[in-house]
Amino acid sequence: MSYDIPDRELMLSGHLACPGCGGSLAMRLALKALGEKTVVVIPACCWSIISGAFPYASLKTPLMNTAFETGGAMASGIKAGLEMMGDTETTVLTWAGDGGTFDIGLQSLSGAVERNEDFIYACYDNEAYMNTGIQRSSATPWRAWTTTTPVKHPKDRPKKDIVAIMAAHSIPYAATATVAYPEDLVHKFQKAQSIRGAKFIHILSPCPPGWKSESSQSIKLSRLAVQSKVFPLYEVEGGKRYRISVWPKKSVPVREYLRRQGRFRHLTEEDIEVIQGNVDESWKGLLAKAGEEARATQVA
Amino acid sequence: MDKVMMGNHAVSYGVQLARAQVIAAYPITPQTQIVEMLSEMCANGDLDAKFIKVESEHSAMAATIGGSMTGARAFTATSSHGLALMHEMLHWASGARLPVVLANVNRAMGPGWSIWSEQTDSLAQRDTGWMQIYCESNQEVLDSVIQAFKIAERVLLPVMLVLDAFVLSHTSEPVSIPDQTDVDRFLPPRQAKYKLDVDDPHSFGGLVAPPHYMELRYKIQKSMEDALDITQEVDREFGDAFGRSYGLVEKYRMDAAELVLVTSSTITSTSRDVVDELRAKGKKVGLLKIRLFRPFPVEAVREALADAKKVAVIDRNISFGCGGIFASEVKSALYGSRIHPPVFGFVIGLGGRDVTPASIRKIVEHVETHDEPAEEIIWMEVKR
Amino acid sequence: MSREIVFRTEADMPPMPMSIGTTLTNKTGTWRYVRPVYLDRTAPCNQNCPAGEDIVAQMDLIRRKRYRQAWELLVRENPFPGVCGRVCPHPCERECNRIEVGGAVAIHLQERFLADRALQERWPLPTQSLTQDGRIAVVGAGPAGLACAYHLTLLGYRPLVFESAAEPGGMMRLIPEYRLPKRVLDAEIGALVDLGIAIRTSTRLGESLDYADLADYDAVFVAVGQSVSRSMGVPGEDAVGVIHGIDLLERLRAGQPVTVGSSVVVIGGGNTAVDAARSARRLGAEVTILYRRSRNEMPAIDEEIDEAVEEGVDIRFLTAPVEVLTTNGRARGLRCVRTVLGEPDESGRRRPLAVGGSEHDIIAETIIPALGQMADVGFMEGKLDLTRGRVACDAAARASLEGFFAGGDVATGAGNVAAAVGSGKRAALAIDRYLRGESSDDLPPVNEAVHAVHRDQDTTVVRLADLNLDYFEVEERSGEKHLAPGLRLASFREANLGFDEVSALREAERCMSCGTCNRCDTCLILCPDVAIRRLPDERGYEIDYDYCKGCGICAEECPRHAVSIQEEVQWTK
Repeated sequence: MSYDIPDRELMLSGHLACPGCGGSLAMRLALKALGEKTVVVIPACCWSIISGAFPYASLKTPLMNTAFETGGAMASGIKAGLEMMGDTETTVLTWAGDGGTFDIGLQSLSGAVERNEDFIYACYDNEAYMNTGIQRSSATPWRAWTTTTPVKHPKDRPKKDIVAIMAAHSIPYAATATVAYPEDLVHKFQKAQSIRGAKFIHILSPCPPGWKSESSQSIKLSRLAVQSKVFPLYEVEGGKRYRISVWPKKSVPVREYLRRQGRFRHLTEEDIEVIQGNVDESWKGLLAKAGEEARATQVA
Repeated sequence: MDKVMMGNHAVSYGVQLARAQVIAAYPITPQTQIVEMLSEMCANGDLDAKFIKVESEHSAMAATIGGSMTGARAFTATSSHGLALMHEMLHWASGARLPVVLANVNRAMGPGWSIWSEQTDSLAQRDTGWMQIYCESNQEVLDSVIQAFKIAERVLLPVMLVLDAFVLSHTSEPVSIPDQTDVDRFLPPRQAKYKLDVDDPHSFGGLVAPPHYMELRYKIQKSMEDALDITQEVDREFGDAFGRSYGLVEKYRMDAAELVLVTSSTITSTSRDVVDELRAKGKKVGLLKIRLFRPFPVEAVREALADAKKVAVIDRNISFGCGGIFASEVKSALYGSRIHPPVFGFVIGLGGRDVTPASIRKIVEHVETHDEPAEEIIWMEVKR
Repeated sequence: MSREIVFRTEADMPPMPMSIGTTLTNKTGTWRYVRPVYLDRTAPCNQNCPAGEDIVAQMDLIRRKRYRQAWELLVRENPFPGVCGRVCPHPCERECNRIEVGGAVAIHLQERFLADRALQERWPLPTQSLTQDGRIAVVGAGPAGLACAYHLTLLGYRPLVFESAAEPGGMMRLIPEYRLPKRVLDAEIGALVDLGIAIRTSTRLGESLDYADLADYDAVFVAVGQSVSRSMGVPGEDAVGVIHGIDLLERLRAGQPVTVGSSVVVIGGGNTAVDAARSARRLGAEVTILYRRSRNEMPAIDEEIDEAVEEGVDIRFLTAPVEVLTTNGRARGLRCVRTVLGEPDESGRRRPLAVGGSEHDIIAETIIPALGQMADVGFMEGKLDLTRGRVACDAAARASLEGFFAGGDVATGAGNVAAAVGSGKRAALAIDRYLRGESSDDLPPVNEAVHAVHRDQDTTVVRLADLNLDYFEVEERSGEKHLAPGLRLASFREANLGFDEVSALREAERCMSCGTCNRCDTCLILCPDVAIRRLPDERGYEIDYDYCKGCGICAEECPRHAVSIQEEVQWTK
């Protein structure tokens, strides 16, 4: 095996994800990392459907579907219940989309991590309310098309920095990951599993119908997102110690990432420059937090 | 052991005796003493439970459901706006067929802010698939908490235990606390058949398409219907074990009653005094206490009112655009039978306005002086 | 559990919405309109190897440290890896897609590594018992003839090889010791003899062997090579002290004493010229090579030219001799002219034109013309058709006379061992078909190498743009060990020492396995639908078409372009 990833499969074929769905691959990899002693909590999101219709399921672990805004709270109750039932080993994993994390579920998430509940909260972020047909969320990038941020009425707000919000809760571990770096994603889940307390993993998940991209490009897009520094891969421990996990091998302009997605087709040259400027600034900021300012001009 | 305690603490003792394992609650006046005492019990090691200090009631119900889904015994308490905030998750608890128990302190809804007694908050949730038990005394509260867990775990539906704000919650009464060993015998540990278990994994609560959804709802209704007998059985068993039974309804001085007052919660105890008084004067007045509101005890109500000439339902609640909710339910129960006495629907005591023996006497007087109800809703003691 | 679940009544259903089966009942393969197919394509190295080796497969085996298996695969195609691993011009490396990513994979050195290991461990060639009738004569025991005899032996025949020289090996024998040690050549030819190939040496076609003798055979393979050295075509070239390159090399091979004096000029730009020049250096002379074109056009192997220069050989480009200067019939030097390059001639190379007034003299005691070789076709004339001075034959190696086949330099003029091996192999397969009365139409055209072992591969060649470079990083090519130039000149000791196992493994890791699945697991890991399974016995992967949604990620991400996307309709008719 040339990848340092466990062989075991805890997700089955026949699930209802769109072809090329980043979120389905992310789940597959996450469960490979965590193993069968995992309870998965799924608030309303694409995965509520992907997991399969009654009476069929596509996960081999127990799965608790729950209401949209309850990802954090449901996991808190389940963890407490499992411990009272004598099981202190099973990992509780909340698997939520960006809607249930950044917006409607933010309170419940905040409450749960503030209490340092012992669970992993993973947000597979496809950057809009995709399950209901591509409406904007606070995770939608600046100027990306969605049905509620059409070209003439664009999203003029930046993407909410959810990892910063999590770090502000001083939780033991927060990280970003994406499907083009499967070993990195798997290792982060394994690391999270080994830590007691609240862990948050933010996974960029390309969505072909929502991003208006080819289904075959999902891995490439997630790779370009990292290489262009739109979505850097890093970890935060204790809310303070930043560490960059994957250094982009070459300097890729954001244009390379944007041009493959129909949701950015309408961007003007000016827009792209603004985005490049913002990405550069955020990257510098991240380097500073990680104590890596010296590598600001270095690429590999 | 006997102790003088407020209604809220009666809940706490009941929960402790029932050995709840997961408690998730958010404070709201006038529920706070319930959770404060439970928190203390946990901290002192007098209760082996996980107490999750959630950040809202919606999360409280979600966490309670989560705890229950693992097979643990789960409990929460709230009131008024807190219960309203839980609304979505109340549906989730019943749809998931989870035997959680919730104690709701009946408090009026805002705006304007009111912390005082009214039944609208719990009754507004009557369609969520929860059983509802309305308590008259602190003893009944403690006893009913214990019964509630047993009923819930047999019926596989959640049970809401209801007590009046301040009149019960903050009023101290002598309560007999049963022995833990006796309670353990009456209520053994929960044995959940379906739960989150890595050794027997299932997906719960996912997508159900039209070909299957209705059957699952049918099952809930069937369980609600079975709950009538089950509640009575449990109540009987409780009586055998502890010497106290309450029934689905209670008939008080109903022999040859021509005028029947139908009440619930603490208005019942106020009414008992007035009925005694009137009976002493030779009036054929009786009292029907409705304890179990969901499922509605249709047969018991019909049986109790079979010979009544006039029925006066006293509601400390209102469904706007309709009327007092107990009145609606009683009328609906009677409609399907051959008993059709005039039913007078009284609305009184909203927002915690005091309901006194004088109020009850006025109600009786009104009924005596009218053959038929003049209005659908008879508002008592409203400045108009 | 993938059975369809049917509820007759509500009593059959669980009390709450919960799963009791899996989504395996949902065959999402019906969603597809394109499907991925594992389709190995041809790597440029494989396409370019004249001996028809499966380099990619060999690399994969080396990577897994299965050196013997790699060698056994190699010798199913080419019995001379020890020779080729030292002297082949390695056209494989010229097209290697890794050139842009740190340098071509050192395929040439890998071949040598395997061959040397085989010699050390004494791994035997594959054997085959006699199963076929059919008497076959092979004329010429050079690489083409021996390869033909070898492949015929593996096909169940027992051909008889005739060789005019005292020892088998043909042109391989003339390669100097410092490039190809005799022990290596002897070992590889010895292995063929051990296989049962009979070689009758000192038997020359046209002398002790004639057409009447050959009529006894059911098929004859003519592979007599190009043994006649071209003359310079200038006055004085018959003088004493003018020794043709191949003659010098033959004398060195035979162990005869050779003196070249202290100054030598070699004329020519091919490998024979460079071999002669570097040999002369080792005999103590100052050596100059004259070549009438520039370095670009020089046909000798680049590394040979570089090493010659390192050894102090002076190469004068754009210089051509016009006369051998003699004194009493003995050469003393050359009169030369400078040239410039004009328009290309029929060989495609730019024609050298003498520059008027540029005459100059070069002093030399020995003059060594090495201007290329021609076939000795005296015996063929009248019997076999010739074209451009060589025996004419088709893609099935058939010459004009029934039952006669031709290959190697006498037919192709290719001038390298690997090409000769490929040519001999082609002839063997063709002869086998001929003797069994089957068509040879399935043999590939002459510009494509023949494979003895069938390869399940599409013939499309995979280029750099087809690969997914996101999976490869720039890694420098491993180097070879050499004797220091000073040491090299002291004797005819082998100058290049190959590389070690660590380097072999590193190069095998660098191989990008263009077009060929090497079980890297990328497709397996990245399938969002868990629709790819490993096949047992390391045979690769299969796609579960019941569930594959045709998203195309596997094809897009495959680092080596071994997955292709095809329209679903052509599969579901």
